[in-house]
Amino acid sequence: MVGYLARRLLSALGILLLISLFTYVIFFLLSPDPAVLICGKTCTPDRIDQIRGTLGLDQPFWVQFWDFLRGFFVGRTYGDGASAVSCPAPCLGFSFQTNRSVTEMIETRLPVSATVALGAAVLWLLAGVGAGLLSAVKQGTWWDRGAMMFALGGISLPNYFVALILQYVLVVQMQILPFPSAVPFGEDPVRWFQSYLMPWLVLAFGYAAVYARLVRANVLDTLGENFLRTARAKGLSGRLILRRHALRPSLTPVVTMFGMDFAGLLGGALITETVFGLNGVGKLAADSIAKNDQPVIMGVTLLAAFFVVIGNVIVDITYTFLDPRVRIATR
Amino acid sequence: MSAVPSDLAVQVTRPGVSPQGGAPRPAGRIVSALRSSPSVLLSAAFLVFVVLLALAAPLLVGLVGWGPYDFDKNAIDSDLGGIPRGALGGVSAEHWFGVEPQNGRDIFIRIAFGAQVSLLIAVSATIMSMILGVGLGVLAGYHGGWVDQVISRVMDFLMAFPSLIFMIALLSALPAGNRPVLLVIVLSIFSWPYTARVIRGQTMTLRNREFVEAAVASGANSARIVFREVLPNLRGTIIVLATLAVPGFIGTEAGLSFLGVGVTPPTPSWGQMIATAVGWYAVDPMYFLIPGTFLFLTVLSFTILGDHLRKQFDGRDVA
Amino acid sequence: MTAPAPLLEVKNLTITFPTPGGTVTVVDDLSFAIRDNATLGVVGESGSGKSMTSLAVMGLLPPGGRATGSVLLDGEELLGRSERELRRIRGERVGMVFQDPLSSLNPYYTVGLQIEEAYRAHRGGSRRAARAVVVEALERVRITDPARRADHYPHQFSGGMRQRIMIAMALCLEPRVLIADEPTTALDVTVQAQILDLLRDLQAQTGMAMLFITHDLAVVSQVAQEVLVMRNGSMVEHGSAEQIFSRPREAYTRVLLDAVPRIDDPFGDLRRVSA
Repeated sequence: MVGYLARRLLSALGILLLISLFTYVIFFLLSPDPAVLICGKTCTPDRIDQIRGTLGLDQPFWVQFWDFLRGFFVGRTYGDGASAVSCPAPCLGFSFQTNRSVTEMIETRLPVSATVALGAAVLWLLAGVGAGLLSAVKQGTWWDRGAMMFALGGISLPNYFVALILQYVLVVQMQILPFPSAVPFGEDPVRWFQSYLMPWLVLAFGYAAVYARLVRANVLDTLGENFLRTARAKGLSGRLILRRHALRPSLTPVVTMFGMDFAGLLGGALITETVFGLNGVGKLAADSIAKNDQPVIMGVTLLAAFFVVIGNVIVDITYTFLDPRVRIATR
Repeated sequence: MSAVPSDLAVQVTRPGVSPQGGAPRPAGRIVSALRSSPSVLLSAAFLVFVVLLALAAPLLVGLVGWGPYDFDKNAIDSDLGGIPRGALGGVSAEHWFGVEPQNGRDIFIRIAFGAQVSLLIAVSATIMSMILGVGLGVLAGYHGGWVDQVISRVMDFLMAFPSLIFMIALLSALPAGNRPVLLVIVLSIFSWPYTARVIRGQTMTLRNREFVEAAVASGANSARIVFREVLPNLRGTIIVLATLAVPGFIGTEAGLSFLGVGVTPPTPSWGQMIATAVGWYAVDPMYFLIPGTFLFLTVLSFTILGDHLRKQFDGRDVA
Repeated sequence: MTAPAPLLEVKNLTITFPTPGGTVTVVDDLSFAIRDNATLGVVGESGSGKSMTSLAVMGLLPPGGRATGSVLLDGEELLGRSERELRRIRGERVGMVFQDPLSSLNPYYTVGLQIEEAYRAHRGGSRRAARAVVVEALERVRITDPARRADHYPHQFSGGMRQRIMIAMALCLEPRVLIADEPTTALDVTVQAQILDLLRDLQAQTGMAMLFITHDLAVVSQVAQEVLVMRNGSMVEHGSAEQIFSRPREAYTRVLLDAVPRIDDPFGDLRRVSA
């Protein structure tokens, strides 16, 4: 188990390195000169050279990439002498736009994204798994049809469209919710809840739809399994059969999907955060892309990749506990 | 009326039992899939309508009297910040779906041209990602060994990528150039592994089936086996995957355009129209409702169609 | 002295399924009876309706299936009973063993738990008490180190061992009737012989009646005293094993017999092809 874990973490690290290299290359090759961007409109060639020197942009690509990696793991110092700026690990550089540390920017935004992801996850697990189970158990009834129509809507409606409809109806027309603005919980719990409610609903709707379809299909598959016939032949009650023999095989794949989806959302719900103006990592990504703020784009991309890769490892490890066939094989 | 049903009738009512012998005939099954359910029929009809709308867009300019870039200052109220005159976002005999606020462009004609862009990008991306996914999936599954190893690792890598953020970053960093072509390339690069994963698995199964083993034993070359034995048996899967890929691409393209890195204005695209409408949603809801509804119905129709095809081919429900 | 009443009696059993093209009859007017300590072998090709017959006895027909006629267990009618009543009979009075032991066991739970729940569903009691029954049941089907093996998962056993576990599970409540639906088909020949041995021994110990369903006459010849041959849902021939094997009356039975490879009859297979 320890060996397996070490192997998985090592390969995760490898993928992360590859992704950062990939991202770095693309921005290195494709972007306009960052020094010019930072310098702004009133700029002299001397000043540009100075900025290049400070940021290490005059160095060859490999040196720059190496400095970036080293900065992340042990920290780095930009410039020298009196004007030196230190950037402690994990250093992701400084925003070209605001001059703030990217690590810091991400740190302040992450709680917002985590709140969005967590609340939505609770909602979509309840609604998605619930609707999926309901429609599988009541297959062919109006319950089933209703739940599946709801699910079809959820996977076909783009979330920004749902967001606009919700905002129009709840905020503009009925005026039962304020415009979302990420109020901290400590400041005003009611306003906090109100400000996150719509993002949660919008995100959860889309995911719940996918989960409902998956759960329904899985349960129906499991109900056709031979071991379910065995359970009936043993004289078990219908409820025990469903609870013990049908649910676990049906819901285990949901764990994989949930791990990946949740990890993905921690890296920022780009569209939802942008539409609702929530200052999370997703909005940070969208803003930095719009302003071509490379260190920030690099930072949020790596953060998202980190969550996805680590989420993958966690899911695999969880799986060894959920599925006995996998458990034994890894030992 | 015969009381004794044919073998085929029994098989149809028993999902999970696939008819033995003979490759499935997709054409016949598609027709029966379409007939079996009214929702499928409606979806197909709507898609035909959208395709016609897209194809006829240039002709419609003459009919409507407005081009996609024509401003109509008379249709908006400049005293009220440029919101459309009249109810429902300026719906009138002259402007069937109303006009855009501030510049008075005709929404109907922009929807039609937007359909062109959306469908063209989605269908091209589907074709490209299917070519990549089926090609590499069959190669990995049929060849096995190190080829499979390499392709599988690349797939793992691409699937671990935070693709949406990366697509956005990439598209924003790339020189403007030909946006639709860039979109198609980027969309296919990040989507082919999902096709390849399914195709690889099925190819591996087929590889061990008697008729393929017989062909190998009789000395047929690999290319011949792949094209004569393997691909025809993957037809059903490919059709289903492609049908379900189209709505995915339409949605993603609209999302990217919504975020401002997709199709660049003034070229109309549904996602981008919704993005522009964000600033007006409180005063002119029709502006986002119309492109949003078209987007929704198109994605919905493709999904319903794909679900039904899958049911026909697999004999099982959707996941 | 009158002959004892049969333990399981099936009279005029007809099973139908609705299809869009009309009602399909998969079993047509089938009758048989099994006494204590006796084994009836039901033989037929796949699709002959033999498995549907066994499921109908248990009240486990797939959705839509309709059984008419009569299924008497100890003189009690089973057809038309409520699901609740049938549940009390399944496992407790009629045990069942299926063809593919791997897919018939839930991969997510230990075999011990799967035997235990069968016991506790009918007799209740604590898990600790049921544990003793589980170990004993595994011991009876000759699994070595049963106390340790009870905590293993199905995939950790070989095919033959899994079928032993299925048998232990079906017999842990000591039912008077055991239905074995192709119990040896998925196993290789040596393991097949061991399982048949085990079933014979268990029958000798408990005196249970056995309904043994198979497509393989060679297997039936080793366990059954009475044989019923089925084809397309109907009975072809019914008689003692001795009569069926030495003096088959029907041509179809002879075809099936010829399909059994014999050392003294190397041309049997060829004859079957021409039949």
